[in-house]
Amino acid sequence: MTRTVEELRSVDHACAVPVSDEQLWEMTAAFVAAGLAAGEQVVYFDDGTVDGVLERLADDRVAVAESLHDGSFAIVSPDTTRATLRSPPPQVQELICSTVDGALERGYTGIRVTGQFSYGLRRAGGASLLEYDTVFDEVARVRPARVLCLYDRRRFPEGAIEELRARHHTELVVPAIYDDNLLRITSTGAGTARLAGEVDHSNRPRIRRLLETALDQALRSHAGPTDITLDLSSLRFLDVAGAVSLVHAAEEFPSSHRLVLTGVRPRVLRVLDRCGAPFAAQLVVQSRPEYAPSEAR
Amino acid sequence: MRIETTRSAVGVRLEHAAGYHRSDADLLAQLVALARAGLERGEPVALALRPRTERALHTQLGGTAGLIQLSHPDGPDGASGQTLATRRALELRELTSSTGGPVTVLAEHTASLDGADGSFWTELDAALNVALADLPVRMTCFYPELPLHLEILDGARHNHPLLLVDGRLVHNPQHRCPRDVLTMRPAPAPALLGPPDLRITFSAWQLHEVRTAVEEALRAAGYGRSRAEDLVLAVNEVATNAVEHGASEAELAIWTSSGSGVVCEIHDRGVLADPLPGLQAPHPSDPRGRGVWIARQLCDTLHVWADRWGTHVRMQAAP
Repeated sequence: MTRTVEELRSVDHACAVPVSDEQLWEMTAAFVAAGLAAGEQVVYFDDGTVDGVLERLADDRVAVAESLHDGSFAIVSPDTTRATLRSPPPQVQELICSTVDGALERGYTGIRVTGQFSYGLRRAGGASLLEYDTVFDEVARVRPARVLCLYDRRRFPEGAIEELRARHHTELVVPAIYDDNLLRITSTGAGTARLAGEVDHSNRPRIRRLLETALDQALRSHAGPTDITLDLSSLRFLDVAGAVSLVHAAEEFPSSHRLVLTGVRPRVLRVLDRCGAPFAAQLVVQSRPEYAPSEAR
Repeated sequence: MRIETTRSAVGVRLEHAAGYHRSDADLLAQLVALARAGLERGEPVALALRPRTERALHTQLGGTAGLIQLSHPDGPDGASGQTLATRRALELRELTSSTGGPVTVLAEHTASLDGADGSFWTELDAALNVALADLPVRMTCFYPELPLHLEILDGARHNHPLLLVDGRLVHNPQHRCPRDVLTMRPAPAPALLGPPDLRITFSAWQLHEVRTAVEEALRAAGYGRSRAEDLVLAVNEVATNAVEHGASEAELAIWTSSGSGVVCEIHDRGVLADPLPGLQAPHPSDPRGRGVWIARQLCDTLHVWADRWGTHVRMQAAP
């Protein structure tokens, strides 16, 4: 059975097989944000990828500083993650159960566990990842815990993914308009889409096509929006020809319609400025002045 | 830095003249006359002269009012005429857009930039013809009647549409367009740098690997975030051109330990359609040619040259 992140409220133990890093950050950030909003404690088992998740949470305007401080969003260090996935499964089960009980005592409604479990592939503790997965199932059955297992194709071999996938009743899916592992485009409503990643020579034509389709749909529908909005919060790179194509697209819009770019990072904003964006009447560029990326990425 | 994309609307466009002098005194007399004429027209007079000549001119004019000093060439790897032309165009574009009117420019040959054969000057004047084409600039370049290298006289004769003869501008029948000049005398290769610290080949689908390599080198060398981001953009644009117009594969080389910041080169086996790309501000409606133009604005040096193996671009920028 496949579900979206929003539907995961009713599911205790699910897996996801992201096709790209952007999708991995997107799913993890959504899962974390939903847990924090629901008053649950969120535990992220890090394997050195947490910066991507934190950056995406910032892109999504999810304030996590407070949650990181008070422990409602706990990041387990890569060393501890590794050590945990080397402990015997019964011990892990006990550890998680006591974590849940501790969280309940402190007033959380439950806990959410996610992260990168690829360390478990190495069987250093003599147990396979499948055994740990059984632990998660067991915990989720007896305690208010939700577990999202992430098996992305860059870190897990194909055979392992299929084996692990088969063990989960529920698989989380996040549909995308386009994802080439460099750029991910998702639809976020009528006339709006979100770009995550990088736009360059290899995927630039997709942007043009996206805008043409969005405008076409807006013009055909009577109640269609007059603004075509692209959320660029997670767009880390835009090349010159990409910026020029956004400016030209806006200039070619019918006078009734505008192209609105939101959440634009300083790096992308400078390229747009250099490519004539300030002179395009039907282009609205909303920058993100508060943006301060972590130095780690 | 905001880069204007609109072309100048002023009627006067580049007037590029060559003048010759027999002696320092002769040079000074001609410079004084041109400077006075410019100041009387109410134009700023921009100078690209040797310091000694400039001091003498100040003395003759009784001060520096209305005079502007253009930046001096200081290429760390030897001079690049196209890089200097880019910088002069940037300075003169700012000057003409702030005054709204024409500018008089007085330039002088400096033997220290001759290099091995004087071809720097041929490249510079050809590049200025492209880079300043749409600017309201009256420019006179002075050369000695007998320079060390014959190449300098040949280049001056071919690059300047006008000649200054007895204080009057006359048509130069030997003038040729920049493309023809550069076909005869291509932009020279810069000084060799030795083996690079990093070398990768890439295709049109691996440009992100180029960006990652350059960004890592710049960050490791202590470049600030936005400076590094801008230079990654510059290299990305040149790399994009290489795999878009050149061969299917191109090469990136990075030197991280040069004295003047990180140096990147892009090599491809393609043939240049435009011998000096990215010198002219692209028209807003023209989707092409903007990438290299922006890259030139962002780098301290961007030198394009071609040889029988293909096209090469060296980019250098201080932190």
